[in-house]
Amino acid sequence: MSEMWINMGPQHPMTHGLWNLRVRIEGELIRDVDPEMGYLHRGIEKISEDRHYNEVITLMDRCCYVAGLAWEHLYIRAAEQALHVDPPERAEYLRVLCDEFQRLGSHLMWYAAFVQDLGLMSPFLYGMRDRDLVLDLFQSYTGARMTYEYMRVGGVRNDLPPGFTASARKVLDWLSDRFREYDQLCLGSTIFRKRCDGLGVLKGPDAVHHGVTGPMLRSAGVKRDLRKDRPYAVYGQLDFDVAFADGADVTARYLVRMEEMRQSVRLLRQVLDWLDRHPGPVIAEHLPRWLGAPYAPIGLEGYLLKRNYPKGVGFSAVEEPHGEALAYVVNEGGEHPYRVKFRSPVFANLSAARTYLVGYHVADIPPIMGSVDVCVGEVDR
Amino acid sequence: MSSATLYSVSYDLSHTLLFALGGLIGGPLGRLLENGDLVTGIGVLVFAALLLAASMLNTIVLIWYERKLLGRFMDRRGAMHVGYAGLLQNFADGLKLFRKHTTRPREADEVGFYFGPTAYLVTSLMIFGILPISTGWNSGPMPLSLLLALVIFSFAPLFIFVSAWSSNNKYSLMGGLRSAAQMIAYEVPLLLAVVAVVVVAGSFSLTTIVYEQQNYWFWGPLIVALIVFVAAMLAEMERIPFDLPEAEAELVEGWNTEYGGMLFAFFMLADYLRALVGSILIVLLFLGGWTLPTWLPGSLTAWPLAGIFWFMVKTYLVFGLFVWIRASLPRVRTDQLLRVGWNRMIPLALLSVFLAAALVTVRCVPVFGCVPSPGA
Amino acid sequence: MTEEGAPGAGTTTEENPVLYVARPMATAARQFVKSLVRPSTIVYPYERLEDPRFRTEVAVASGRPIGVGQVWDNYRGVHALNIATCISCNLCAFSCPDLCIEMVTVPGPDPKKPKKCPQIDYGKCSYCGFCSDACPEGCLTMTTRYELSTPRRAEMVYSPQRLFDVFRSKLPMNPIRLERPENEDRILLDPPLCIGCNACARDCPTQCITMVDVPKTDPKPGQKPAKRIWKEPVVNDSDCVRCGTCISVCPKECLFWGGPP
Repeated sequence: MSEMWINMGPQHPMTHGLWNLRVRIEGELIRDVDPEMGYLHRGIEKISEDRHYNEVITLMDRCCYVAGLAWEHLYIRAAEQALHVDPPERAEYLRVLCDEFQRLGSHLMWYAAFVQDLGLMSPFLYGMRDRDLVLDLFQSYTGARMTYEYMRVGGVRNDLPPGFTASARKVLDWLSDRFREYDQLCLGSTIFRKRCDGLGVLKGPDAVHHGVTGPMLRSAGVKRDLRKDRPYAVYGQLDFDVAFADGADVTARYLVRMEEMRQSVRLLRQVLDWLDRHPGPVIAEHLPRWLGAPYAPIGLEGYLLKRNYPKGVGFSAVEEPHGEALAYVVNEGGEHPYRVKFRSPVFANLSAARTYLVGYHVADIPPIMGSVDVCVGEVDR
Repeated sequence: MSSATLYSVSYDLSHTLLFALGGLIGGPLGRLLENGDLVTGIGVLVFAALLLAASMLNTIVLIWYERKLLGRFMDRRGAMHVGYAGLLQNFADGLKLFRKHTTRPREADEVGFYFGPTAYLVTSLMIFGILPISTGWNSGPMPLSLLLALVIFSFAPLFIFVSAWSSNNKYSLMGGLRSAAQMIAYEVPLLLAVVAVVVVAGSFSLTTIVYEQQNYWFWGPLIVALIVFVAAMLAEMERIPFDLPEAEAELVEGWNTEYGGMLFAFFMLADYLRALVGSILIVLLFLGGWTLPTWLPGSLTAWPLAGIFWFMVKTYLVFGLFVWIRASLPRVRTDQLLRVGWNRMIPLALLSVFLAAALVTVRCVPVFGCVPSPGA
Repeated sequence: MTEEGAPGAGTTTEENPVLYVARPMATAARQFVKSLVRPSTIVYPYERLEDPRFRTEVAVASGRPIGVGQVWDNYRGVHALNIATCISCNLCAFSCPDLCIEMVTVPGPDPKKPKKCPQIDYGKCSYCGFCSDACPEGCLTMTTRYELSTPRRAEMVYSPQRLFDVFRSKLPMNPIRLERPENEDRILLDPPLCIGCNACARDCPTQCITMVDVPKTDPKPGQKPAKRIWKEPVVNDSDCVRCGTCISVCPKECLFWGGPP
């Protein structure tokens, strides 16, 4: 049978976002793939150059619709370094709280989308249902369910509402029960194993070569996690294990993500305990005075030039739910960042598609791409 | 009781009406009304209208039933706003699809594009003329009704492939190819499993097969055939886990990607009609049709329409099993599906035929009782 | 690998034909039985998360922690504007990253001095809450209202009066109020440039600028010292909300931000 190219995307149920996977197929076999990104480019990096440091946060939530807080954390760390600000410890713990809850929410979203790609309908609803509890928690302390705008340069906007930690523990208990149910629906099903085992193999050296990070890298047996290898925030003081597996296939990625969720629950319990015991300020006292207010006073430009505010460069690396995200912020002394640059983990993971897709069946594309956990918002920015 | 069939009732109805009308009018026009061919024709039309209404209504209620059941499996409620508990939701959906403009891609083949879904729906509806639902609800004695039903049932891949090919879409083509391969692969075990039933019952007539199950239902002794039949039926109905022809994750909507409006509604209706036929066939062949076990009190079947009632209860329970499977299993892959079909299902089906033959030879099974003598 | 019952790293298929479909089907059936009592969904128009009755009765019945905590207290929804306390300082409009706030004239107590209050275009608003954080008087807050749908785009623009109606509907307000920093920058004056035009004092929303008499002490060389009395602005720092209006209206650009270095 002759070969043909088919376009899976930009509007296709498999893509989970706006991107295009061009596939050359021979019958049901994949001969070649060509991932095309860029359909969702909004120029976030460029817009950031025209915004005040705190206003960039509103864009970070739009980088990734399932991991907004992780991206806020990423940007804030770089911005704080560029502006020479140190957040108080409680703010750091609150940010880890955000990060780990966001990891839970993102992985639950991934679980839902992934099983839906396999045709499993009920777990899709289960995953979304349980993610909703995480969103409830976010709403109760950030004020929104998706676009949080919670972190500020020098700390976070507000402290936790009363009774939050008790509610959060309730949710964590509920979630840890659910993980067993998820495993029964997926790992317990032989059809699931037959669909996932040995699929989309991306070996460790290939993964490193392509710059693949996050659960995809750890599923290939490479034990790299920024939270351990290059501890930021307060991860150094918390006790957790790096989830990894050796299979390098779809099942291994499933195992790694499920284990990461369990580790997140473990981390969150420690963070909640700490937050209960240590009240304190959540935003730095010695902020640059014009940053203390969240608004942009008139006439600031000339003022900053007169004050000769110290310049700086900020760089941060955060283990985002999808992988390693990097941010680079240049402060040239003005009221806006001079340059903001991000490194999206999913972009690298997607770019390696040819390595882990060629040779499998067309029907394998949804589970394999589902196991990559695509979030196009951050790919194109 | 057993002599009155749905068709004979229709015929009597038209006979009575036309003759009354003819007597009233009198003259040559009245004699024209009392013509036997006209009476037969009107009787057939009434029969067809009754069948069409009943099968369509059942199909739409079946969709509602699946939505509600699936909803509970997924920790939600399903349709609930239009009508009581969402009963009218599917009518509203159908109305919406009916009002929509049907677009045909410019490159699509005009004849095949419209012919495919129409023929698919029509052939699916035709089966209902054959299936006996109860003692009164059938079209009369048909010695080969099972064979005829299965023959019409197996028309579908042709029409699916025609509509898929004429859509001129790569996804449709792949879905059509998958559909054809899958249906042909599972036609064989399906028929072999039916052969097991026929061997035991000694007849191709569905009515006879039901009456042969007076002593015991066939699902017990023919459990292997039942498993093969259910699996093959799932594949024929293209439901999860065997819904690869319309695997929406990779093939968008499979062979009906290019269809919209009423033509899409045709496909959906025909799919559920086939699901209904599948459930009905399982009830007829393995679960004793409209009869109840003899050890149950007779008062359960003593009232009019009890046969239809119990038959529908069984049918909906069987369909509930399909919904349960859909709610909990992922989709398999094409090569896996075909491998299971050829390597597992056909040997199992052959085994079931062998077991049925052994059963007929042995004649008596300890728990289930004795097989009636062949051809009785 | 880890302590907490990690499912192990191996990905071999377990060949157990009995469990081929039984285990997932059993799990689904368990959920089915649970959902027969009450599914987890919230029947939205009839049940609402923000409804306290729902939180106490319905959420408990489903057995899962729906709406944990005080979910709705901090929600950032439609704004409420208290027109009476609005001082027309413009800070909300300046802080808006989406430029969806426009200051429009509303009838004020003083007919000669029209009052300007924010008008919000919810077609653009992203509910970031920067405006209510910036509001020095706490008159622009965010409420828990989230139902905004309308068939007309023009209705997405909420005039100050409509925002005031939201305020009067006594919806729960976002209680979080940011503290202003202790040693904030002040408005400073470059005296030689000032011409005493009174523009800053006239436009100051908080009336914290008073014009005080100062003798013009630095005559140009070769001229007689002026006999006239000049006025210069003096800012009352405790009342100042740091909106910068005075800086923007100053014709001579003699006002600027300053403070202890």
